[in-house]
Amino acid sequence: MKIYIRTTILFLAIALASCSDVIDVPVQTAPTRLVVEASIDWEKGTMGNEQTIRLSTSTAFFETTGNTAVTGASVIISNDTSGDEFLFVDQSNGEYTTDDFVPVIGQSYTLQIIHDGETYMAQETLIPVTDITNIYQGREDGFDDEELEVHVEFIDPANEDNYYFIRFKREGDLLPELEVGDDEFIDGNEVDWWYEVQEDEDTDKIDVLQPGDVISIEMYGISSAYYNYMDILIDQIGGVGLFQATPVAVKGNCVNQTNPDNYAHGYFRLTEVNKASYTVE
Amino acid sequence: MRIQTDFRKPLVFGLWLVTFLFTSMAIAQTSYTLNGTISDKSNGETLFGASVFLKGTTIGVVTNEYGFYSITAPEGDYTLNISYVGFSEVNQEITLDSNQKLDFEISEFSTELEEVVVTADEPERAILRKPEMSVAKMNIATVKQMPVVLGEVDILKSLQMLPGVTNNGEGTGGFHVRGGAGDQNLVLLDEAIIYNTSHMFGFFSVFNADAIKDVKLYKGGIPARFGGRVSSVLDVRQKDGNSKRFAATGGIGIISSRIAVEGPLFKEKGSFLLAGRRSYADILLKAAGEDNSVSFYDLNLKANYNLDQNNKLFLSGYFGRDAFELGESFSSSYGNSTGNLRWNHIFNERLFSNLSAVVSKYDYDLGITAAEFDWVSSISNYNLKYDLKYYFSNNFKLDFGASSIYYDFDPGQIKPTSETSAVNPMTLDRKKALESGLYVNAEHKLTDKLTTQYGLRYSAFSRLGGQAMVDYANNQPVVYNPVLGIYERGIPVGETNYEKGDAIKRFGNLEPRVSLAYQFNEVSSFKAGFSRVAQYIHLLSNTASATPLDVWTPSGKYVAPQLSNQYAIGYFRNFKDMVYSMEVEAYYKNTDNRIDYIDGSDLIGQNTIETEILNGESRAYGLEVLLRKNEGKFTGWIAYTLSKSEQRTPGGNAGGLGINDGEWYNTPYDRTHDISISGAYKLNDKWSFGTNLVFQTGRPVTYPNEQYEYEGISVASYAPRNSDRLPAYHRLDLSVNYKPNRKPEKRFKGEWVLGIYNAYNRKNAASISFGQNFETGANEATRTAIFGIVPSLTYNFKF
Repeated sequence: MKIYIRTTILFLAIALASCSDVIDVPVQTAPTRLVVEASIDWEKGTMGNEQTIRLSTSTAFFETTGNTAVTGASVIISNDTSGDEFLFVDQSNGEYTTDDFVPVIGQSYTLQIIHDGETYMAQETLIPVTDITNIYQGREDGFDDEELEVHVEFIDPANEDNYYFIRFKREGDLLPELEVGDDEFIDGNEVDWWYEVQEDEDTDKIDVLQPGDVISIEMYGISSAYYNYMDILIDQIGGVGLFQATPVAVKGNCVNQTNPDNYAHGYFRLTEVNKASYTVE
Repeated sequence: MRIQTDFRKPLVFGLWLVTFLFTSMAIAQTSYTLNGTISDKSNGETLFGASVFLKGTTIGVVTNEYGFYSITAPEGDYTLNISYVGFSEVNQEITLDSNQKLDFEISEFSTELEEVVVTADEPERAILRKPEMSVAKMNIATVKQMPVVLGEVDILKSLQMLPGVTNNGEGTGGFHVRGGAGDQNLVLLDEAIIYNTSHMFGFFSVFNADAIKDVKLYKGGIPARFGGRVSSVLDVRQKDGNSKRFAATGGIGIISSRIAVEGPLFKEKGSFLLAGRRSYADILLKAAGEDNSVSFYDLNLKANYNLDQNNKLFLSGYFGRDAFELGESFSSSYGNSTGNLRWNHIFNERLFSNLSAVVSKYDYDLGITAAEFDWVSSISNYNLKYDLKYYFSNNFKLDFGASSIYYDFDPGQIKPTSETSAVNPMTLDRKKALESGLYVNAEHKLTDKLTTQYGLRYSAFSRLGGQAMVDYANNQPVVYNPVLGIYERGIPVGETNYEKGDAIKRFGNLEPRVSLAYQFNEVSSFKAGFSRVAQYIHLLSNTASATPLDVWTPSGKYVAPQLSNQYAIGYFRNFKDMVYSMEVEAYYKNTDNRIDYIDGSDLIGQNTIETEILNGESRAYGLEVLLRKNEGKFTGWIAYTLSKSEQRTPGGNAGGLGINDGEWYNTPYDRTHDISISGAYKLNDKWSFGTNLVFQTGRPVTYPNEQYEYEGISVASYAPRNSDRLPAYHRLDLSVNYKPNRKPEKRFKGEWVLGIYNAYNRKNAASISFGQNFETGANEATRTAIFGIVPSLTYNFKF
């Protein structure tokens, strides 16, 4: 709901924007930080034992080259109740993997990373997600009532706080579409979540959805803290215009125990996820 | 009953003050009082700020908002001199041997004498004797001399050419005074509060110049009769309407057109004015097959009726609306509506009073067809005020009065528009509040050279019950999480229900206002002033620029009133027989309890605002220089402002260092340098030319200082708040005014106005945003410029 209002405000701004162009702008450069992409996602219908954590470093904003993979770190997740530890093995490309992970819905886990002599810790709970009930396409809805959009339907569990993260990606597109939502205004309702691609009027670089397009859909159940994190992060994707909130350095949940000021970017999340694919007709 | 108790102290003090002053000034000899109204002979409009004085003495006064004057002098023979802006002076011999009522009608200079010389308004020269400072006054004639660049004369854009007044970039409404926020300006149209001053995101202001008589902006030294906003007061008065004959003015432009009609009513015992404007870009856009459209219209109404010599009634109203449509998915409309009934009553030759009953409302409606719901929100207020002015003696005048405002905030309602809508209906808590004020202010001439103004306002604010408020653990609506180093929403532990008759929270503040003027000689003076102002309602906006969809909120349990102190000194000088004038002012002000927003604050549809904000403080200081050429074929000014505006928000009750680690940081309204040059050249009766040149330091913004890979995208991490700046803003406007040959006896008068906004087509950045290129994935910076070069052509007429 809030997304709609925000988007509307954004659209008003776009309607005003008679002219936009890409320019060179000098920006500040902050010290490099560790980036933790510890997304423990349990796809419905799988064991959830195979998991990967990615470690990298941040770079100057306009930097385009360079390998940012972090190797040689120690990565362990432990089950806060049983004390079981899952060791993630360094693949020397920034990825750390395990085949032994045991996901438990509602269970709290702790991530520990030791890198460059500093210890990072994060704690999070595995959040379930409701099933997708229907995926279909249409034209009438969406921002444009003439273009195709794909609908994802599900029923929000009533009388509890639910937070969703949905990732749409069209095959061949470089960038995914990331969205989050909460059930503050839709608690217990059947929810119709749609995905539509807006044509970029200035560049024609992006095409609207066409028959034959294959869309991958991933719908995650997430914690309220991760929702808050992704809400800001997503809001700031693609830049911040006149009528958007002042942008900030988003802080994740990976805390540096050795040197708190040197916090890590990224997040330790544990989710249940629905994955689906839809081919536009 | 509590409110009365709250009032008692200042009331007693006020009475004491009045008694003291009255008794300390016994009248030594027999004096008589002369009073009346000064108005324009051609249309009967009363004149505000006309000077009335007795030649050869220092006894004089300027007319008030209703054209009323009152002067008291010892018995004798005098020459009464009346002068006003571009009007012919009137000198009349009088014998003062009794109290008398004398009304004057004076004539415009040019119409009588066919004079080419443009004479500036008397009050626009540096006024030396009055302690009034930090005031920008413009009468509509001056505004009309400035370049008309977007097809229409615009009061707000004209004010922004003066020192200390800026906007927040193109495409944004409102204005900023001395580093203050947009919601810190009290904007009054015929005493009614206007909550949003712009149409089409600042393209036009809500003020239709054809319906406006004069405009006064108090940048500081706010008189005690005003309260409620800490930064400035913009006092706009509508015309009364021509009481002599029926007349019409209008203009036909590319973007919009306007018409105003006025004329006498009830056998010249009254008059009316009705003015309307409408844009038609939407019609053109639709004709061109464009789905998106934007439009606005507004109406001004004024009527007045003279009951008798001492009683006059005024009715005024404003109604304006903006509408946006974005295809069929979204529509939005918003606007102000106001109404005001006033009663001027003259008790006697020295005591003038005005009673006003005012209603105003701002509302918006957002229709989101795509998700099948409407979102509506509004703020309304009902205001009753009574203002009196007592002309005690030539050396002592007293303003006093009271005001009470009842607010009704409707922060938002969701209304599903179909049965299939996934959205549940919802209403955010309505909020009610009562703001009252009592004031007394004296204008006291101590010696021939030293004049002072001192006053006191007592303001009281009650956030009224009739709703429940959430209670938080440890009474912390916002909590610092020391582990993650972020501010989080507090944990609700229950609710306290407040009955309708109860107040949730009460505030009271004493607001002293003092200023003095010392006149060194005939051409120069020094002034100093101090003012303290309280502000009880706040516009919530965490975006770089305020939007029409932002919501007002009252002070209460978790939101404290803003309190501001401003100190100013100034030097004023006229040169070369008043042809040139110079005004230099320096100011410092600080404001307590300025709301700031935690990282990731979410204000949309937010019922518990307190979980998104912290109370901080702000400070601003600056130097303003204004050099004017007031007379001759060439008139105009150079305005320069050097200033700083910062804010800081410690963690306070929430813990932690605070927002931006509790460090001072630039407000979005900080402009180090601001230079505005405005010039008008009158070649002859037919042709005149105008130009504006503006240069400003870029607006403080926040740029990224890092990137990293996450979820398959490059995520930008941002530098500390407002630690970067947009490129400098500069712009040149030009205008040409052509009045075709016309016979003086013809009533119909027309003129063509050609304007060019941003003549050298600079792409001034309204914002710069950072993101990934869709094809290459590389990060890039995208500049959004709102207006390139904008030509306009308007035909104005009157008959």
